[in-house]
Amino acid sequence: MATGFFTDTTICIGCKACEVACKQWNELPSDGFEFSGDSYDNTGSLSGTTWRHVSFVEQLSPEPAGAEDRWLMMSDVCKHCTHAGCMEACPTGAIIRNEFNNVFVQPDICNGCGYCVVSCPFGVVDLIAKVNEPRHADYNDATLNQEREHTSQTALQGSGGVAAKCTLCYDRQKIGMVPACAKACPTESIQFGEIEELRERASKRVEALQERGLPAYLYGAGNEGSVGDLNAFFLLIDKPEAYNLPAEPVLPSTRQPAGYVSAALTAALLTLLGLAVFKGAK
Amino acid sequence: MADVLPGGEPTKTTYYGRPLLKRPHWDRTVTIYLFLGGIMGGSAILTLLADGEAAGERRLARNGKYASFLLSVVAPGILVTHLGRPERFHHMMRVVKVKSPMSLGVWGLIAFSTIAAPNAVAEAARNGHAPRWLSAVGPRWLNLPMALLGAFIMSYTGVLLSATAIPLWAKGKYHIPAMSVCSALAGACALHSLLLARSSAPETLTRLAKMGVFASLAEVVIVENFRHYAGEFGKPMFEGALGQRFRNLTLLAGSVAPLVLNGTSILKNRANQREHSVSRTLVSAALTLIGGYVLRETLIEAGKLSADDPTVSSRQPR
Repeated sequence: MATGFFTDTTICIGCKACEVACKQWNELPSDGFEFSGDSYDNTGSLSGTTWRHVSFVEQLSPEPAGAEDRWLMMSDVCKHCTHAGCMEACPTGAIIRNEFNNVFVQPDICNGCGYCVVSCPFGVVDLIAKVNEPRHADYNDATLNQEREHTSQTALQGSGGVAAKCTLCYDRQKIGMVPACAKACPTESIQFGEIEELRERASKRVEALQERGLPAYLYGAGNEGSVGDLNAFFLLIDKPEAYNLPAEPVLPSTRQPAGYVSAALTAALLTLLGLAVFKGAK
Repeated sequence: MADVLPGGEPTKTTYYGRPLLKRPHWDRTVTIYLFLGGIMGGSAILTLLADGEAAGERRLARNGKYASFLLSVVAPGILVTHLGRPERFHHMMRVVKVKSPMSLGVWGLIAFSTIAAPNAVAEAARNGHAPRWLSAVGPRWLNLPMALLGAFIMSYTGVLLSATAIPLWAKGKYHIPAMSVCSALAGACALHSLLLARSSAPETLTRLAKMGVFASLAEVVIVENFRHYAGEFGKPMFEGALGQRFRNLTLLAGSVAPLVLNGTSILKNRANQREHSVSRTLVSAALTLIGGYVLRETLIEAGKLSADDPTVSSRQPR
């Protein structure tokens, strides 16, 4: 079975309940407050400690009260790619695909090399700062830590220095619960479920919106690109860049053969020249 | 909202100009590793070239083996310190992942030091620094696998960078691995010239100078080709303060100047002046090493700037 998110941005009201629910459930620390001035978005982006991020795309025409003014909102999240750049790059095997077909970083395995961070075409996964002290007394409870160590990120809160991102609420799914963000979403902009069923529902929604004249399309479903379909996909009505999503994400590992061939040819050529240089000494 | 600027130039849609990608977390330790790892691989190749029956470069072969082994201990040691959790470095040895250059690199380093260690011990035994019987642990054929692994280590770091989402590195999938190989070999030639500069071995130094000339020449050609090929993706590396530093320290001081200095040495030797200039060798070698370090530093730092630019992050190089 593969589970995922369908995020319908047309019914997002920008309440950030998903951000808060995610932080609460996963016990993610505060990132501090910085007033950005970019609409209502003071979160900025996904990070190692922010696994849902609501973006606010203000599109105002130069004239006041233009008829085409609009305010787009989107709750961004890890895409849980079919072909995940982070997972391929991970040299420790910390990043795995779990039984729900979600991409999961095992916090007890990751050693914080940072290669997944640069290998994510969506700029999702990030290293979290090293924390020496446990944040709550709870974290000193050995039994609780042991229980949650493998399926949640709680363990990493006490130590840090590792990569972290959305777990698709692995721990909640394990006991049949809906991920915290989807549960908290008041408009069902975030829908959780079995991926095939979500895609069917999403295509119907796209058709309905297109009939009403909106340029709706699905981002990350029926994807021809090297990252494949996204297990967390989105319904958008503007181009991906407007929401800070890449228009053409590329799976980084596809560039390796070119690199190895180029390097091998260069090394071979220089070594051959070297053989000529070092031939016939004393 | 407007897709066209007053000048008629199309703008690129971004989300408040915020970065689309995450910056590499890599700092100076990674730069130092890339630099030393390259020299280590280059030393292994020089060892193979020098230790052949035909070449008979005893001192260069000896230094090459020692340098290969020492760097194979030092370089990974430095690399471990950049980890978020250095005490978990051995987690890298849980898996072998062909699709991860970092995983392959770890295994390459392990294999390299496994060969470099007995090779260096045997060399020490031959030079009377260890019990004589130990010379048997490093037969001459070990130089071949050590050189092959050395070539791999010179190569994989460039592949590692280009197999990421960072637009500059991604665009350099042909160039960055190739320029890393050239710089690594030039650096190894420079290091061994430094070590032998005062040892009255004019022929060895001339050979190293020739190798250095080939490597630096190839490096300049590849870098210049990349400048044209990369276009807007190359801006962080070739423009601004970073680009200026790169041009001055890697291209001019680190490649062109050594080309001239080494070229002069080679021509003078050809004119049968058996004397080599120690100062010329030292200056040329030092400049090459500085240039090689700055190349790695520029690649890492420009990668950070590249990640910050959402306009190049959206359509990622294939």
